Amino acid sequence: MRIKTSREKRIFRFKTTLRWIIYYLIIFICFILMTSGTWLKPVLLVPAAICIAKNNDQMPAAFTGAFCGFLIDIACGRLYCYNAVLLTVFCVAVSLMFDLWLRSKFINYMWLTILVSYLQCWLDYKFYYQIWNYDNVENIFVHVTLRVWLYTIISSVILYFLFKLVDHFLMPKEHLTIEEVIKTS
Amino acid sequence: MRQFLKSARFKVLLVFLAFLVGIMIYAVTKGGYSLSGASFINTITKPFRTASNSIAARFESFTDKMNHADEYYEENQRLKEQIGELNKQLTDYDNLKEEVEELRKFVVIKEEHPDYIITQPCEVLGYVTNDPFHSFTIDRGSADDIFPYCPVVTAEGLIGITIDVSEHTSTVRTILSPDLSVASVSSATNADYGIIEGTVLTAENGSTKLTHLSTENSLKVGDLMITAGNSGLFPKGYAVGTVTDIGIEANGLSACAEIKPCVDITRLSSVVVITDFAGKKEDSDADQDLP
Repeated sequence: MRIKTSREKRIFRFKTTLRWIIYYLIIFICFILMTSGTWLKPVLLVPAAICIAKNNDQMPAAFTGAFCGFLIDIACGRLYCYNAVLLTVFCVAVSLMFDLWLRSKFINYMWLTILVSYLQCWLDYKFYYQIWNYDNVENIFVHVTLRVWLYTIISSVILYFLFKLVDHFLMPKEHLTIEEVIKTS
Repeated sequence: MRQFLKSARFKVLLVFLAFLVGIMIYAVTKGGYSLSGASFINTITKPFRTASNSIAARFESFTDKMNHADEYYEENQRLKEQIGELNKQLTDYDNLKEEVEELRKFVVIKEEHPDYIITQPCEVLGYVTNDPFHSFTIDRGSADDIFPYCPVVTAEGLIGITIDVSEHTSTVRTILSPDLSVASVSSATNADYGIIEGTVLTAENGSTKLTHLSTENSLKVGDLMITAGNSGLFPKGYAVGTVTDIGIEANGLSACAEIKPCVDITRLSSVVVITDFAGKKEDSDADQDLP
């Protein structure tokens, strides 16, 4: 097995720390954007959490999902930890799927984002509007929920390339020795 | 997958999920007060949200000008004509003066209600993301003696009620929401009682709805609706909105009316919170009046 030099270890630690700082900086910016203005806005933190979950282990994915969910709860005035629980489950599932079955491709990320953001929007509509039997509640689904979902999907493309850029420079690359390659193949 | 399900990581995740559900249940029992974690994030992000909101407001105002240039031009022409007309009416100055005096009485409603204890003006930090009923967050909280279910007003009229109070911020539920009911009466007749409650359809136009109105009412379009003050949640006699349309409910048993709030709730910049007033119900009783 290839032994890392102390310099490589230092670089690895530095890059990992910097990568997570940038991840959380992006999350913070997404939160600020979500709480600004009076227009309907995409739930940016959902694709952001998925972007992070797809390239990371289950534990960091779960904590990031919980954090993003908690911020969504604050921004959208929801019961604290409601979205945190949802996004924790979704992010662990996404992380596992990319670990076990899926390749880290744009198309895989997109269909998962479409599915997860739809579930998030739909559950929000179910629990916060439809369940209370307001008159003409379907108007909210058409004029708010579906539009927010559409905006989220569109914005997820930008977030994908933003996170890809961060990962390109700061994600540690797997180094395999010749023995490991032979063993794997 | 099986390995993952049997692993310690999976058990840790389950414990973490149980912890989050625990917090969620704890949040429900807080009775309108924010969790300390949320308060902390709200406090940390407050300056950034204020800055980004001012940028967003400028951007929205710029795009609004660009999008409605023709409309504004027409409005400008119309207003010029109106000014000309008003100039002719200068001779009726005394009548106008009386009218202004009346309006001034309405604006300085605080002076007429010395029993009100109001906060300093609160800045609107931002609207709750994607809320069709335009709930918003203000920059004052429990540190400024605000607590859940305090009426939120401007000089022009009632806006809503505080529902989620943290140390330095509070969330306000508006009268456009179906979750807030305000007992009200017509100021003209002082007899036509009803419940003002938002609906999905009226909220789209920035209006609300007056329900449970007698079919034999004498309400007219343009009548001002004021709070009845029965519930103890709102002070008596505060302006809510004007009647824009009157009709009969689908069940035919009662009448209803569309109410345009005295204030444009979708474009607020500052409000005040009434923390105490004569006839206010105790917190525990007030909770029971909320839907």
